[in-house]
Amino acid sequence: MLALCLTVLFVSAPLLWLLKPHRSLSFGWWAALPSAAVTLWQMGQLVPVGQGTFWVERYGWAPTLGLELALRLDGLALFFGLIITGIGTCIAFYTAHYFAGDPRQGFFYLLLYAFMASMLGLVWSDNLLALFVFWEGTSLTSYLLIAFKSEYKAAVDGARRALIVTTAGGLALLAGLVLLGLEAGTFSISGLLATPGIATAAVTPIALTLIFLGAFTKSAQFPFQFWLPGAMAAPTPASAYLHSATMVKAGIFLLARLHPAFSELPLWFWTLLLTGSFTMLLGSLSAIRYTDMKALLAYATVAVLGMLVLLLAFDSSYAYAAFVVTVAAHALYKAPLFLSAGIVDHAMGTRDLRKLAGLGRSLPLLAVTVTLAALSMAGVPPTLGYLAKELLLESGIKPLEQGEWLVGALAYGAATLSALFMVGAILTLLWEAFFRRHPEEEGARLHHAPSFGFMAPALLLTLLGALGALAIDSVQNLLFAPAVAALAGEPVELHLKLWHGFTPVFLTSLAILGLGTAVFLARSPLRRLLNSLPAQLSSLFVYDQLVNALYRFAYRITTWIQGSPLAPQISVTLLSAALLVAYAFAQSSLASLPLLDSLEMPSLTEWLLCVLALFGALTTIRARSRLSAIIALGVVGLTVTLFFLVFGAPDLALTQLLIEVLGILLLVLVFFRVRPDPNLESGQGTSWRTISKLGMAAAMGFFGFAVVLINHISQVGESISPYFLENSYSIGRGSNVVNVILVDIRGYDTLGEITVLALAALGGYALLRSPQLPLLRRRIQLARRQNGAASQPTPPKTETGHD
Amino acid sequence: MTEIYLRLVDRILTPILLLIAIFLFLRGHDLPGGGFIAGLVAAAAIELTILALGSTATRDRYGPWLAPLLGIGLTVAVTAALIGMAGGGFFLGRWIQFEVAGETLKLGTPQLFDLGVMLVVVGMAVTYLLRLSEAAEAATPSAERQEPRP
Repeated sequence: MLALCLTVLFVSAPLLWLLKPHRSLSFGWWAALPSAAVTLWQMGQLVPVGQGTFWVERYGWAPTLGLELALRLDGLALFFGLIITGIGTCIAFYTAHYFAGDPRQGFFYLLLYAFMASMLGLVWSDNLLALFVFWEGTSLTSYLLIAFKSEYKAAVDGARRALIVTTAGGLALLAGLVLLGLEAGTFSISGLLATPGIATAAVTPIALTLIFLGAFTKSAQFPFQFWLPGAMAAPTPASAYLHSATMVKAGIFLLARLHPAFSELPLWFWTLLLTGSFTMLLGSLSAIRYTDMKALLAYATVAVLGMLVLLLAFDSSYAYAAFVVTVAAHALYKAPLFLSAGIVDHAMGTRDLRKLAGLGRSLPLLAVTVTLAALSMAGVPPTLGYLAKELLLESGIKPLEQGEWLVGALAYGAATLSALFMVGAILTLLWEAFFRRHPEEEGARLHHAPSFGFMAPALLLTLLGALGALAIDSVQNLLFAPAVAALAGEPVELHLKLWHGFTPVFLTSLAILGLGTAVFLARSPLRRLLNSLPAQLSSLFVYDQLVNALYRFAYRITTWIQGSPLAPQISVTLLSAALLVAYAFAQSSLASLPLLDSLEMPSLTEWLLCVLALFGALTTIRARSRLSAIIALGVVGLTVTLFFLVFGAPDLALTQLLIEVLGILLLVLVFFRVRPDPNLESGQGTSWRTISKLGMAAAMGFFGFAVVLINHISQVGESISPYFLENSYSIGRGSNVVNVILVDIRGYDTLGEITVLALAALGGYALLRSPQLPLLRRRIQLARRQNGAASQPTPPKTETGHD
Repeated sequence: MTEIYLRLVDRILTPILLLIAIFLFLRGHDLPGGGFIAGLVAAAAIELTILALGSTATRDRYGPWLAPLLGIGLTVAVTAALIGMAGGGFFLGRWIQFEVAGETLKLGTPQLFDLGVMLVVVGMAVTYLLRLSEAAEAATPSAERQEPRP
């Protein structure tokens, strides 16, 4: 059933694309159907999973590698799965309005569903390697979604950054997962968690560090957080879905998955504690600086991701509950906020806070939605966000009560400060966009009011988030408790309540709201202060510097190795090959080789062919023009063809003949573009050049001769030819042995070769359409115009270093 | 426009060469020939058209097929290799045999794979030839193109 769900989603992706959904606005209902169905099925699993019966499915994939498609629906998987498909349903519905009439809508659905399937596979997977495959699937679809508006440079840049950062982390993650899997002797996640002593194994610190890299890059932790704001160039439904509600939580999810086995390690604790609290502070402080609604929300997302990492450092039931509630609350308020930003963008043509004001009057329903979501984000009772914040503070105050002052102060302080700035940021957004009367700059005007269907998904999610806490008694047992149990590794009973009395935590909550309002009131000086920070401090700057340095390094290496003209470059390659063979000859004792015994005297035909080849070669050297040189070279090639015929290899002969024909054509065409070497054309090479080239030619002749000779006389093991001859017909059912070898017995090789061929074609295509061509054309036109029609046009010229 | 005799040669020889390519491909499993060779022959045939009609006209004729050819070829090859998977192995040949006019014809996934090879070879060779010809034509002023180079 799990595999069926994944298949449904995977199949929906191209299907929705092919249906050309932009033709009808009501298509949103259909587009939301597959994920809604999967959501409903998962809801039906809530009760059995709560009782501890997990749905498990296993399919062999590459068993020798330890790779199998193992799916396991435990509490955590179900919790994340519900968020993925539940929010996905709303996003799919919203997309129909967001991309109304846009022909690219179908392609967006394709990517959206491909992502949803990968993400669901990731959280359901019970195999480390399968999890990695799905992980990379989310990275790729995220890349394509960020670059969706590929006509904008910001989109392409942001997408590339996100891809490089997340896949670099992905590589580290793969290494870490493989190390862990080898150490545990199993790649099954449930098996790994049950392996005794895995936390104390010698390889675990290395493996964990690598896994941290993967999780932190994916979940935008410091210092990798910079890709997330850049990802906001994606269409808003993708930002709401991937870059706040689901994909960025993949790293968090992985950490939560591994939590039961490793949470007692100091490495785990301190890494997560420090990274999480710093990211949390950084994100919440940065958020208020931005006037782009999506950028503000993106930094707030970074803060929440940091908060989640911080919570995973701890080992208390408060922290588990805080983690689960925060994930749910964040998904339910941040996705609607993003969706609303998209609606504002649609309706006003901008989402820049400086140009917005008074939307509360023109879009009242949207204002209600955003206000409710903002209350949840600010943690005002009785929303789910309030509960999340209470639990966060509880888990921070716990170490304080136990006397661990440093840890407690760090966690509690970071949580308080960050919550306070978040309140300031969201109040800023709410006030500036919806409630103040006059914008800072010339205000944007309302293009067209959004329909109810456009706003419905955001409103639905917000209501769930705002009112979910009121039904906390049933929600916690049904939804939260199984997830917490998976985190803790044992069944846990939850007693979440909205009202605890006047505890220190509640008082802190009140203080946060008050101070947050103060931050909101002081937003202008704060923005000025943050904007005056030097750019060198941001990790985006560091990243860009690194990438630029890499480009410069590559450029230097390339000019160093390949900067010279073609002839010297080839000479280096050929001479080193010849030297290697000479070295091999010097090492082996020549006398011991049974040299001439096995050689026969050539026949008359062979003598004649040799003379013909020599004649062709000499003509090539002595040729005055390049065209005659090429033709003479063709004679040499044809002689080789005849050799093949004489020795009874018609296939080779045929291939050689055809290659010769096409090769000559290509040579002619290439030489047409390359500026002639004046020395060669005039036949007046300096004597030193001639001598060095003679030496090179002799070395190459020796090389070819030696290779053939060695091949002939050194028989290592049994020859494989008889095997091919015997089995060609019985296995490959063909009497042409060469062909059977190529397409059947050694088909792998051929597949590799044609892949190389195809890549070479792409490379050549790119190379030959390089900017030099139009440049050349323009230069010639210019020259012709200057000289007038009567005068001789200039001969074609091309820069070297191109071929 | 190029010389009339070249165009005549193209008119007559190109179809024949393409037929030869198909012929070589079909007999390839038992007699000299096969996808690689057939691909080269087809590329030579197309080059003849390039020489006769110029790259623009050739691109008009083959262009829409050219870019996807590499991809199609690779896909066909991989598909042929994958078909064996159901029988228990990558590259495991699957064969069908039938009688046509007394002759036994056999078709199998190795030949399908060979078709992929042929398509990739044609795509690669023609990509290069067309690009280089375009470059050469761009470098030659049209008035001079008919005259032999000094």
